[in-house]
Amino acid sequence: MPGTGSALGTGRIIVELGSGMTLAQQPIFDAIVEELSTLITDKGLPVPRIEAETEFLGDSLPIDSLDLATLLVMLERRTGHDPFRDGFRQFSTVGQLAALYVP
Amino acid sequence: MTPLPGPWVHPEFRLMERNRAYCCAELCVLADRIRAASTAPTRFGVGGDSVATLVASLMAADAMNSEVVLQRRGTTVPLDLGVTVAPDGQLTLQGPVFDTPGSFCVIVASSGTTGGPKLARHEFARLLARIPAEPHTEARWLLTFDPSTFGGLQVILTALVGGATLIADPGAAVPRLADAAIRHGATHISATPSFWRAFLLAMRTPPPLSVVTLGGEAADQALLDKLCEQFPDARIGHLYASTEAGALFMVRDRRAGFPASWLEQGIDDIGLRVRTGVLEVRSPRMMLGYLGNDGPPVSQDGWLVTGDLVELAGDRVVFTGRADDIVNIGGVKVRPEKVERVIRAVPGVFDAAVSARPSPITGHILTATVVPAPGADPDATRLAVRRTAEERLSPAERPRIVDCVDQILLTAAGKKNRAAVPATPL
Repeated sequence: MPGTGSALGTGRIIVELGSGMTLAQQPIFDAIVEELSTLITDKGLPVPRIEAETEFLGDSLPIDSLDLATLLVMLERRTGHDPFRDGFRQFSTVGQLAALYVP
Repeated sequence: MTPLPGPWVHPEFRLMERNRAYCCAELCVLADRIRAASTAPTRFGVGGDSVATLVASLMAADAMNSEVVLQRRGTTVPLDLGVTVAPDGQLTLQGPVFDTPGSFCVIVASSGTTGGPKLARHEFARLLARIPAEPHTEARWLLTFDPSTFGGLQVILTALVGGATLIADPGAAVPRLADAAIRHGATHISATPSFWRAFLLAMRTPPPLSVVTLGGEAADQALLDKLCEQFPDARIGHLYASTEAGALFMVRDRRAGFPASWLEQGIDDIGLRVRTGVLEVRSPRMMLGYLGNDGPPVSQDGWLVTGDLVELAGDRVVFTGRADDIVNIGGVKVRPEKVERVIRAVPGVFDAAVSARPSPITGHILTATVVPAPGADPDATRLAVRRTAEERLSPAERPRIVDCVDQILLTAAGKKNRAAVPATPL
């Protein structure tokens, strides 16, 4: 495990990536990027670069709130996990959404 | 000639529409031009693309005891119009209208509880009775509803009567409105829960809101809590209103649903009761009636069936859904059955079921389960369904996820099971 010497033996290894995401969040981040790309491609639009700091409803992604709602359904199907079971939770960026799936 | 504007308009009212500012006097000039289009009382048709012309049309109709029909984008009303007012203020004379009621009325399209869209006629004096009369000239309202809907009209009238500033950008998406709210220092926002969720996601720095109102969909506790956290000093309330019954009541205790005691005591002068799980209301300020019908769809003793399902939960009455097939998607009322009909007509589709799936962002979204015709390729069918949906359905109506299956499950009663999850996706 790279760069985690002090965390060894604690039972939980957290590797901070440059973006503030942890290594454990990488798979869900990749899943979000993949599903988002499908959504945007289906609209016939080019997929912009998506990073942890990319805002869903800012200027960087060509999606609206209905697309975002669709993304959450796609992620629930893919992961079998729904972090919104108890209602709305706030997030703005791709990284923040990933953190809702893998805290 | 009656002076413009009518006494209900506060002279300090201002409109900021797409970065253009209008003062009350400018809107009166516009109204005067609209009024000059007809010598006799008439019916004005105006859309929601320009709040300036909509407000001027209301002022003009008021001064000449006429009617205003609020036309939704992309729809036509089956009604004779005397004068149509284009978004740029251009007037088109259509012909004389003889069947106006002789008092200032506003006609709003409703999705209706049964059948297709209906036109609800509201007497203006009754609409005004539900608008707070005290001036609030410091307030800056952000208009989030389509100006041609009942919710939009409520906000426009509230700003007009209170002498507030109205910030409007009809048709703009949530990020642009969030931007406008911050740029113009919005202090008051009334919006659907779906709008609020998207607004919370889109805003970088929260605007200094003093009034936060939710309406048009049931407000859930998680969202109310989030708004209380984000706007701790704001007056937060959720409004219960319908196109038919008008504005009914506001719940201000920051809890979802409304107090069960209101079923006994009523609230203000509104009566509330539950019959077979559905909320019924009685209000002195209902619409006059649907056009072409005699009156509102009410029982003999004046109760209107809302179609909203409610449940008693301790000391609260909470909303649990609709008794009919209407689904609320981001504040837009959608009929899955209609969508199903459109999809079933797509070449390559043998059968289809459309169902609503709860969403933490937009309340619901639609998903479709499709059985391809024998020999049809599932991928090609899915694509054809998407294309047709984009051409023939509004964004809220489009099924966002399309699954192909070999059969659609039926319920014990032989009905299509809309809730069924496809057993074997192809």
